[in-house]
Amino acid sequence: MAQAMRITPTLQQSNESPFLRRFGFALAHGDVFTKLSFFIWGLGYIGHGQLIKALLVTFVQGLGLYYLATAGIANLMKFGTLGTVKMEMVFNPVTLRNEVNQYDNSFAILLLSVIALVIIAALLAGSAGVVLSNFQLQQIRAAGKKTNTFAQDLQSYVNEKFYITLLTLPVLGVVVFTIVPLFILIAVAFTNYDHQHMPPNELFQWVGLANFFALFGGGQSLSLTFGYAFGKILVWTLVWAFFATITTFFGGVLLAMLINDKRTRFPRLWRTLFMVTIAVPQFVTLLLVRNFFSDNGIFNTMMANIGVTDLLHNLGLLSPNLDHIPFLTQAGLAKVMIILINIWVGVPYQMLIATGVLMNIPSDMLEASRIDGATGWQQFVHIKLPYLLSVQGPALVTDFVRNINNFNVIYLLTQDVFVTTDQAMASSSAKEVDLLVTWLFRLTQEQYNYKMAAVIGIIVFLVCSLFTIVCFRFINRKEATFS
Amino acid sequence: MTHTPTLETQKQLRAGRIRLTVGSIVRHLVLLILAVVWLVPILWLLVTSLSSYPGINFRSFFPDEYTLQNYVNILFHSDSVAQFPQWFMNTLIVACFNCVISTAFVVMVAYAMSCCRFKSRRLLQNLSVTVNLFPGVLAMIAVYFVLRYLNLTNSYAGLIMVYAGSSGLGYLICKGFFDTVPVSLREAAKLDGASEAQTFFHVILPMSKPILVYTVISSFMVPWTDFVMAKMILNSGISTDWTVAIGLYNMLSRTLINNYFALFCAGSVLVSIPISVLFIIMQRFYVSGITSGADKG
Repeated sequence: MAQAMRITPTLQQSNESPFLRRFGFALAHGDVFTKLSFFIWGLGYIGHGQLIKALLVTFVQGLGLYYLATAGIANLMKFGTLGTVKMEMVFNPVTLRNEVNQYDNSFAILLLSVIALVIIAALLAGSAGVVLSNFQLQQIRAAGKKTNTFAQDLQSYVNEKFYITLLTLPVLGVVVFTIVPLFILIAVAFTNYDHQHMPPNELFQWVGLANFFALFGGGQSLSLTFGYAFGKILVWTLVWAFFATITTFFGGVLLAMLINDKRTRFPRLWRTLFMVTIAVPQFVTLLLVRNFFSDNGIFNTMMANIGVTDLLHNLGLLSPNLDHIPFLTQAGLAKVMIILINIWVGVPYQMLIATGVLMNIPSDMLEASRIDGATGWQQFVHIKLPYLLSVQGPALVTDFVRNINNFNVIYLLTQDVFVTTDQAMASSSAKEVDLLVTWLFRLTQEQYNYKMAAVIGIIVFLVCSLFTIVCFRFINRKEATFS
Repeated sequence: MTHTPTLETQKQLRAGRIRLTVGSIVRHLVLLILAVVWLVPILWLLVTSLSSYPGINFRSFFPDEYTLQNYVNILFHSDSVAQFPQWFMNTLIVACFNCVISTAFVVMVAYAMSCCRFKSRRLLQNLSVTVNLFPGVLAMIAVYFVLRYLNLTNSYAGLIMVYAGSSGLGYLICKGFFDTVPVSLREAAKLDGASEAQTFFHVILPMSKPILVYTVISSFMVPWTDFVMAKMILNSGISTDWTVAIGLYNMLSRTLINNYFALFCAGSVLVSIPISVLFIIMQRFYVSGITSGADKG
């Protein structure tokens, strides 16, 4: 805390400037210890009288350098080729046996290289930070004042630097379990990692943009089917996300209004009844519903018993060689059913949220409109709906993105149930009802086609970000015109 | 009292009342039909779990005979397929660890993002939004690779790491709550000489019970409801290693469904009971969390 007040004017000015410029300033005007601390973090702190800190930071830097020395650099050297030595059995004249040679594992090279790159970036950022902090110490000492003791430094981590204490572990977790894996998969999109190139037995190489061309229908014969499947699935993904978002949102709003209306008796009871469906885990309800609607399932029996199946036969809507309604086994009907079942799954959630939002509408607004003679419908269109949309606009955008990535509903409803008859789609492990995300999952599980899965993942990301950016720009502009 | 309604107005009043009651009947009838539609699958789950026939009953909705045998079997008579008590324990262990780690991470990140001011705050926020735009499945496959390389697949440690590791990203709802805590409270604590950490532990946390309950319960529920991640990580095929979700899913595979469907239903009911209770406690905080979070974009 005291540090901030003791900073000399020159630095205070540069404190506002970007990190890199401050770093350059510090490196240029620092004393020898400040300069040395760029290479060995501890040296600067020793020079500026903070011994324990010096040991600690040098230890951290040492860990990073140790990794680079033992694994990082060696793998980074092979990063350009992703390995050249294939796994083979070689006769060893010493032991007189066939032994596995010193082979390259392309995936290990990729993984360890990405980790090495992240560590190098962290070390560089760390060095810059250490130089800056040493420059500060140097200036404090130059002004003839005392620098912090170690205890004081520790104290700052529960005070003005408390955010560092809070964020270190969670951010580390995200880096290790999300960011590094994502980097690796993005890299895989530019390689030929598939069932023919599976480490450790085989190597894989960089192939540039070839996978992206293949997805858009260019390239060899097999990729033609990929382009075909991709187009169809992309369209269905967008259609699904649109309908899934809109239907559950409006369904939820209508249900909430119906339940919360003054004229409805026992609103709590009704709400609880609908909430029962969300309280049961989703995988249970989805698996159950899929058996409920299966080809020889109970719902088909009921339909046959009350004559609906025959009626459809007579109307010519159902092919005569089917004795059941193919709720989840025929592409078109399955898509409709999936959206309907999703309404069943999603509306209670949206009802809960809409209830909360509707209760926040200022009641004098509704009262005034009622006195002015507005009908219920007019109130809904001119007051409630605009209010709901303004509050839930951002949530609708995130819902849309979440539906594009809605793995559970599609996978649990169609896996092992829906079989595609389209040969072109089947050859690329795709089904008509697949979303991009279920398709990419299936590609990895059935074909070990990691390269295409990674490409599809990147496309999904691009679609989602584009949509989000456009929507939020629109929402922000609208807010600007109204306020 | 001097004014008595004319015959005309009395007629109108009566007509209005009739319209009101008709409207009311229609309204409640619609609700009733909707409720029935929403509850039919749940009812089917319940009655099938009491069925004496082990497979799916294709002929009628209600079973011919009722029995509690399915519950007895799934709780006390484990076989090579159904290991429910074991699965329950496995899931409970994973859930407890995940609950502690995730809650800590989420609350820490949310507090830092809401109440602390530091230079890289904006950058971190934008980064978290960007990372969230990547499909979860993609990240999952990637994590699976890394875990396989580290030999952590088929271990609960690996599963816990996957659930809890990136949980800091889901801080938005919790941040929405902290945003509503008046700044003056923290300033008062500061004037009284409390450090930032003391303010966090002794002022903010005790008054954040609703959001703590919400975070604890929702992270506790993750392993009970997640299916895909667990299936990828615990892929050994040894049924005693599974969580409840994978175990129940496996009962519905083509070769087993005809012998295990009723058992699946019984297991599902048993899992759903604690989840429902937790959910009902949680949902009060869910709504206010969502709406306050959405308000701020």
